[in-house]
Amino acid sequence: MAWSELDTAAVARTLAQIAEQPDDVVDAYFERREEVELPPEEDAPGLRVWREEGFAVRLLRGQRTWMASRDGIAERPFAEALRQVARALPPVSYPEPRVSATLMPSGASGDPFGASGASGAAGAPGTVGAAKAAGTFGDSGVADARAAAGFPDLAHELRDFPQAVARAIRAHHVGIPVRMTLRRHRRWLQVVGSRLVPEPQSEGFYSCVLDSQWGRHGALLPRLDAVAAEQVAAAAVGLFRARNAAAPAAFRGVAVLAPAAVAVLLHEAVAHALEADTLARGGRPEAAIGLALAAPCLDVLDDPAAAPPEVRRTSDDEGLPVSRRWLLRRGAVEQPLADTAWSRLSPALLPGAGRRGSRHLPPGPRSTHLELLPGDAAESDLLAQANGGLHLPAASRGGLDALSGEFTLRFPHGRRIRRGALAEPVGACILRGQVADLLARATAVGRETVAAGAGWCAKGGQKLPVWATAPALRLEGVAVEADA
Amino acid sequence: MPSSTPPGAAGDAAAAEVLRELVRRGLAEAEVLIKRGRSRRLALELGSETSTFSQERAWAVRASSRRASFFAAGAGELPAGEGTAPGSPGGGWPEATGRPFRLPDPEAIPPWTQPSDVEAPLIGESEGLRLLASLGSELAAELPGARLLLAALEDGSSESELASSRGLQVAFRRRLATLRVEAAGPGHPGAGAALYLAAREARRFHPKALARRLADRLSVAAEGTPPRQGSAASGKRGSGAHGGEILLAPDVAAALLATLLPLLVGPAAVARVSTLRDRRGRIGSERLTIIDNGRLPGGALECPVDGEGMPCRETVLVEEGVFRQPLLAWWQVDGAAPGAASGCCRRASWRDLPAPGPTHLYLRPDPKLSVAALLADVRSGHYLIDATGPARLDAEGERFELPVCGFAVEAGRATAPIAGARLCGTAAALFKGIAAAARDLSFLPLDGMLGSPTLLVTGLELRGTP
Repeated sequence: MAWSELDTAAVARTLAQIAEQPDDVVDAYFERREEVELPPEEDAPGLRVWREEGFAVRLLRGQRTWMASRDGIAERPFAEALRQVARALPPVSYPEPRVSATLMPSGASGDPFGASGASGAAGAPGTVGAAKAAGTFGDSGVADARAAAGFPDLAHELRDFPQAVARAIRAHHVGIPVRMTLRRHRRWLQVVGSRLVPEPQSEGFYSCVLDSQWGRHGALLPRLDAVAAEQVAAAAVGLFRARNAAAPAAFRGVAVLAPAAVAVLLHEAVAHALEADTLARGGRPEAAIGLALAAPCLDVLDDPAAAPPEVRRTSDDEGLPVSRRWLLRRGAVEQPLADTAWSRLSPALLPGAGRRGSRHLPPGPRSTHLELLPGDAAESDLLAQANGGLHLPAASRGGLDALSGEFTLRFPHGRRIRRGALAEPVGACILRGQVADLLARATAVGRETVAAGAGWCAKGGQKLPVWATAPALRLEGVAVEADA
Repeated sequence: MPSSTPPGAAGDAAAAEVLRELVRRGLAEAEVLIKRGRSRRLALELGSETSTFSQERAWAVRASSRRASFFAAGAGELPAGEGTAPGSPGGGWPEATGRPFRLPDPEAIPPWTQPSDVEAPLIGESEGLRLLASLGSELAAELPGARLLLAALEDGSSESELASSRGLQVAFRRRLATLRVEAAGPGHPGAGAALYLAAREARRFHPKALARRLADRLSVAAEGTPPRQGSAASGKRGSGAHGGEILLAPDVAAALLATLLPLLVGPAAVARVSTLRDRRGRIGSERLTIIDNGRLPGGALECPVDGEGMPCRETVLVEEGVFRQPLLAWWQVDGAAPGAASGCCRRASWRDLPAPGPTHLYLRPDPKLSVAALLADVRSGHYLIDATGPARLDAEGERFELPVCGFAVEAGRATAPIAGARLCGTAAALFKGIAAAARDLSFLPLDGMLGSPTLLVTGLELRGTP
């Protein structure tokens, strides 16, 4: 285990010494992460590997937070960080609890890029081992041969995926050159509180950036399997087929969003809008509870425990248990996203949605895995009443102005809907409107849900992966304009 | 000051050991970066207060044989030594794949004196929080009812050591402070405005001046209206034709410069710029001189060497309207593009590979001209004080649109606030339309530090947001 030698009890006892006041929250956040990137073949340098570990100590008192973070995990820096966070100097120096642990879980030999890195020895969800079990790409024989030659093969599954995508593209009867950058992300966390030591957490997933002369597509993938290859291939083919398509003229009408586009919509328009810090820009966050933000057909939850197994979480980045949080129930706001700090300011808000992009940054309220509960419409039903509208398969990005409530969602391409079927492609376009007005225009929800990576979220400079499980969605009377 | 002997002797020895091992393995091109840094981040956000102190230490290694290459980076000490040394039994660096690369040969670094503020201590917790709090109170004084949504100050310093198998060995220090402020105006919902600034030291941020800037932007955003089509900016009422006078504040001009960087950076810029040349071979007016200088005295990123250890120098890219050369890294100089290389490979962090880009890229100011004098010369036009969103370029990289706010100007006086406007035009029109530059050069942290003085331009259009 990644943290088997971390003396969490001793750490907790030490943390308790700086929790001087009854309501003080003190915690330590230990983090290890590894990223392995395979750039396109013609790029130098070739394989790219990042490995890091470190920790942060935090004291939360009233509305004030003090935090100290360090790279590396060792006793003395930990004691120094405690001193920096403590508000009163102790009569004697803080003890130095044993915090040294095994090196990276995959580096059994203790070297920085040990051969066992290829085996996913940690047993963490999302490691290569788990990926293999899920029937993903990779040839362990090749990996073993490379390891035996003195070069640990850290990326065999990355190496095989571009070929799988190329095959999937050919299956669409097109042959198009693409450049692909693939990255494997793994993270291991252990939060220790002065009164609570939750289970360690781990995540493993992949990011993919596909570049073609017709545009760029980015995706987050829990695993590199045939489904993922087809997803990436379909995006490449979509860009290709829309290469000469004119952007649609501005209109107000029907838009049918495919699940991947709904994932981005949920993240930008529902999750960001219901983060406690976003809500606080307009007033008291708890005042949002009960507001009708969306059409009654929208039931939206954030449930990190229901995310794909590779990124599933039982506790958040503050060590608090996650919950199946109803953000919208029948379109009304039920429970906004909050972390510990915001739940102390607004007691009606429940913590458990604290996330942090790195040990060097404080946590903030964010979503992890959004779900839009399915409706009863078949895809044909969604299209049947959308004549002249647009089918939008994927969104490239979106944004919400927290002050004005103005929302935009950008799509690289789409298809016109004619007589209940997908017709000619259209070029890049933007869906724009006030967030509440836009969400109120949802009229039908598909019955089949698809798990997808909603994408990277970079709010406040904290880059985090966000996930979603969503069906397709029909919006009526929405404003769409060309994206120049 | 850069030195040929890195101050961290232990790091030096570890780097040498790693380089020896990589070369022994056939990776003849090898480079080691060791970096240590510390930063204090202070934030006020909607009534809460956060103080963070971070210490970072990390390394990065890249290496190439004649056939393949790799990059590896990590936090903590450079992994070298008994038991953990790369190359020890069962261990090793990642497999080299992809294309090979080469590293630069060391070059002599011209004399340079390290600015004294690089050594200054980081801003203290109380001092920093006071600075942020006073920003809030000054804003409320400037514009009653306005409030800070977020004020985040980060002050950091770092030391880096870089060594390569080609004998390059340099050490350098950096110091940088950034300030991000978001504010809302009076009313509900109030208008919003934001500032993002960088300086070498946090103490260079002046709350009163910044509060005034924010208050101006909030007032304009709240009270401004979109410009009338074919209004003063177009020069000929109702025609939409070019020819009006527009005064671009440094923030607006720098945002345009950021959008047009593909015309100035890298070998491909030569072909892009060729379409802008007129019959006399000029791409801009005589007032247009663009310079990049990694060792700009007083610059936030001032340093004698770039992220690959190559000496930085001043490079004139455009001189009085004539394109001289693009910004080129050492490996991009092959005769295809005119000009010499400058140390312009930036390394945003130890996690990043070096990549060419501007460090302090700016339009040369005219020390004789004040902004007031330029404004007084505007008979009928606009004074644009801020970009309110990102610029958009068309697919050909020709036409730009930048959301802006400012004032309508008649006879040298502001007559009405303008908001919801877009500044539209082409690179050629902008460059050729620069009639004058003021002396108020200032920089923004965009893609590197990009700077401009206030510019008086003609040939651009101001349109309302559709």
